[in-house]
Amino acid sequence: MISLRSKKSKEGSLTTHGGGPSPRSLVGLALSLPPLLIVLIFVGLPILIGLTFSLGFTTGPNRVIAIIGQQIHKKNHWWGTLGAYNDVIHDSRFFGDLRLTIFVTVLSTTLVLLLALAIALYQRLIGGRKAAVLVTLSIVPLFVPVVISAWAIHTFYGGDGFMRTFFTHFGINFPTLTSTPSAIVIGTVWTSLPFAILMISSGLQAIPDALIESAKDCGASVFRVIANILIPLAKTPIIIAASFTSIGILGSFTIPLFLGPNQPTMLGVEISNFFGAYNRPQQSLVMAFIVFAIASGIAVLYVRSNIKSAKESGRL
Amino acid sequence: MNKALKSLNLSRIGLNLFIGLLAVFILGPLVWLGVHAFASDWQYPNLYPSGLTMRWWSKVFLDSAFATAIKNSLVISPIVVLISMFICLPAAYAAGRMNFFGRKVFMITLFSANSFPKIGLFAAIATLYYALNLMGTFVGVVIIQLLGTIIYMTWIPAAAFAAVPKNLEEAARDAGASKFTVFRTITLRLAMPGILVAIVMSFLASFDEAQGTYLVGAPGIFTMPTEMYSLVQNYPIQVAAVFSILLAIPSVLLLGLARKHIMGGQLAEGFQLK
Repeated sequence: MISLRSKKSKEGSLTTHGGGPSPRSLVGLALSLPPLLIVLIFVGLPILIGLTFSLGFTTGPNRVIAIIGQQIHKKNHWWGTLGAYNDVIHDSRFFGDLRLTIFVTVLSTTLVLLLALAIALYQRLIGGRKAAVLVTLSIVPLFVPVVISAWAIHTFYGGDGFMRTFFTHFGINFPTLTSTPSAIVIGTVWTSLPFAILMISSGLQAIPDALIESAKDCGASVFRVIANILIPLAKTPIIIAASFTSIGILGSFTIPLFLGPNQPTMLGVEISNFFGAYNRPQQSLVMAFIVFAIASGIAVLYVRSNIKSAKESGRL
Repeated sequence: MNKALKSLNLSRIGLNLFIGLLAVFILGPLVWLGVHAFASDWQYPNLYPSGLTMRWWSKVFLDSAFATAIKNSLVISPIVVLISMFICLPAAYAAGRMNFFGRKVFMITLFSANSFPKIGLFAAIATLYYALNLMGTFVGVVIIQLLGTIIYMTWIPAAAFAAVPKNLEEAARDAGASKFTVFRTITLRLAMPGILVAIVMSFLASFDEAQGTYLVGAPGIFTMPTEMYSLVQNYPIQVAAVFSILLAIPSVLLLGLARKHIMGGQLAEGFQLK
């Protein structure tokens, strides 16, 4: 399969010289350096420094923050200390926050996927004007800044919001959802829907009509077509949608800040609280690393699914 | 026969109901907030405001803090997008067209940088920013916003460059076109929809970025989204509504520009690692 690649690239045959990196390869590497360097300096380096700080390294670049911050643990082994991690794990608030974060992430991701699948399948199998309306509606949140959507949803489901206003006229006391976990779920579903729809619908559109038609000719029901053809063939885009949606929700900040309860809250908000309001930067970073660890687990699924699909289609 | 007709009717009603519910779910909050921008006063549980007014608009336009925030946003975001294009598009071309050593690692590094919780990164970046004297500076804000655009500006154009058929370029070369002409008239032109989508997404990412900008920019530099944080706490809902409409204008304009390509799969294509 590797030979397939080199046969396709014309330059490959021109620049083969004894195993070393080809000039073209070096050019590619050089071109990709600028964004890589930016990411390494402004994302990688802070995370690395943050990791040492969370482990109790309070000198060097961490000196200032260690002086300003409160409840700082200093390292007592050559590798540091787990003091700050211990603090977080034994903080009763943390488990409430973690539970809420995982609950919202799982529930919202599931709802987003179901909604996106339903709409995209309808668009693929039946199509027409109503399908276009559904897809267009679901894309709208992509173009609304998160701060606005959070605030709009806040007022819509609030104590004097539309939902309560509307339903009182029918004698129904609609609950105030703002400042409850339900509002966070509404907000995250709202903001995550466009990406999932775009991913899944483009995955389904790529499946040839002939496959669906021939299955139908053989007497397969719509459900069998969906379960045995459409979903398996669109598996990679579905997994991409699932992983990006869940990683985004896991680290979300603005939505739970505007829509969620004060306590427990999602970890994104708590990271900010610990860093700012409580002035406990070490514990704040520990939480960030915990969220990152969960996100990495999801990211592995994403990368593996991509590599698998690339192998299946012979690109690797 | 009658039964089939009945179930068809039922499913049509169900579908219309679903469309209606989705419309309320998606558009309801936006409309509700938008209408407030013109409402003088709105008492619960009235379905209509007490009166209509434009006074909230003049309040926003006459307030110098709001005007500065609008100006900052409109200056910073285009700069961020231009820098992002300059840095990322060559890399995107390389990732799309050259099978260089470490290409996959490059793509995955960008992705994993994106999956670290943003708010945690902003907390961690403070140390570096103090060391480099970037806190509270224009450059500092530009860099913070740039970070959110990199994944769009590399991944989406990379997929667009990769999708340009090689035989088209070769045919043009055989017909005597120079390398530069081929790149300009074929490669770049065919990849343009993808680049356009990347520009739109990057602009929105930069324009909407609030938390990092607030952490790094405040109290000196406020943009529209960061202004929104303080605004919702300190002003009546109508002012926030006016500001929201203003904040949404660029996004809606860009929607018109790139909707076709975004819905046509350029965005989705960019997120499949190849």
